[in-house]
Amino acid sequence: MSSRVVKIDDTGLGVSLIASAVIHMAVFLLLALSGGLLPPQMVIQETYYVDIVTLPVASPQSGTSAQSPSNSQAAPPPPAQPPLMTVPSRTKVALKAIAKPTGTPTAQPTTEQDTAETESAFSDRIAKLESSREARREEAVLEKLRSKVKTGMNSKVGTPGGSGAEAGSRYADYVKARLEDALKITSSYTSKSPEVAVRLTITADGKLSRLRIERSSGDATFELAVRRAIDLASEKFTPPPNHATFENGFVFKPKGISNGTTH
Amino acid sequence: MAIILGAGIVVKLVLLLLFSFSVASWGIILFKFFQVYRAKTASERFMDFFWKSKRFDSIASQVERFTNSPLTVLFNEGYSELKKVVETDSKSDGSALSTDLGGVENVSRALRRATNSEITRLEKYLTFLATTGSTSPFIGLFGTVWGIMTAFEGIGKTGSASLAVVAPGIAEALIATAIGLVAAIPAVMAYNHFQHKIRVLINEMDSFSTEFLNIVQRNIAGK
Repeated sequence: MSSRVVKIDDTGLGVSLIASAVIHMAVFLLLALSGGLLPPQMVIQETYYVDIVTLPVASPQSGTSAQSPSNSQAAPPPPAQPPLMTVPSRTKVALKAIAKPTGTPTAQPTTEQDTAETESAFSDRIAKLESSREARREEAVLEKLRSKVKTGMNSKVGTPGGSGAEAGSRYADYVKARLEDALKITSSYTSKSPEVAVRLTITADGKLSRLRIERSSGDATFELAVRRAIDLASEKFTPPPNHATFENGFVFKPKGISNGTTH
Repeated sequence: MAIILGAGIVVKLVLLLLFSFSVASWGIILFKFFQVYRAKTASERFMDFFWKSKRFDSIASQVERFTNSPLTVLFNEGYSELKKVVETDSKSDGSALSTDLGGVENVSRALRRATNSEITRLEKYLTFLATTGSTSPFIGLFGTVWGIMTAFEGIGKTGSASLAVVAPGIAEALIATAIGLVAAIPAVMAYNHFQHKIRVLINEMDSFSTEFLNIVQRNIAGK
């Protein structure tokens, strides 16, 4: 009567396996969606670190620090410019006054009333010729001066003290390069494409006076890296040109820094 | 997510293997949980019923009510063996004493065989839990070692050893060990738990066998 033996069926295993797989998938998706339970995802972009050896560290700094004194020397001419502008008109009048007398003496020999000229008349004529030459030379010098003033004005337009952008952006480029160098050392981030916009104020003696984070993608690790990079870079800023306070915005990304988009 | 997708092929394979180990071990855990739970509750109910009823044939007619208990299997095996013994006993007309002892021996053997088959059934798949528990950490460790090897290779290529270069590779490698432990810990815990539960069931079966044999012997001796 062995057919009466009760057999216990073990058919539950397949269902249990399916249930287990479903639970695993659910847990996996939950982790993937929340993202917080997995270890922080570190994104590595190797291109960013590759050229760390060939970084142009010293050149931008030396270039701009040599630039700034020449700018500050080029600046003084503008106050001297208004007197110079009045000088040419005065000299021109004087030139005309000289030129008139020279015109009459040259006409005098053509008349040639008296062939036997007196000594005094000849010397007078020589003197007049000389003075005219002197005037012409004076005019040339003036012209040179005027052009010099003009070029002086042009270079003044670009200084950070003025409203122009050329030389100011050059200092911004210098600061940017310093920040990039520092960020290469401190950079670390956990999100895919972090971005931090910072407004920096640098005083006339090259000290960082104000740091404001204007915008951030919310990656705290990258924010910290940016702060450390700014600290590191601000130790060796050269003073801005023209003894002016420098203020600019910089956008930090892992790939690099762009400036001026924080407005 | 990125940490898994960014890993190398070997680390990915290790993670896949560990994932399937985890799925299988949890499937077995769920299956065993319900199997052992049903066996335990059905056995309790069957024991109650067994002690209340006076006759074996009345128990045998209702034994289907407790299909999940291993004790019902023992009872059926023992009862059918007993019936065979009684049948041959009445046919052969031999001396009562010699068949008594032989009959009890037969029933005892049948019970032991049923007990063994039930132990085998209850312990089925438990070895997989043991294997998962003992090998998963090693498999994970292998993935980690491999991942760190590739990470160092990458460091050698870039030529810089800043934390930003070293850390992601190591984090990527360590996740293999983490998943290995995640798969192993529940498997070990469940293995120990079920070992204990099954030992209790085996003890129950043993004591039931003794009780059954006692009753059989009493009845045959009292004949």
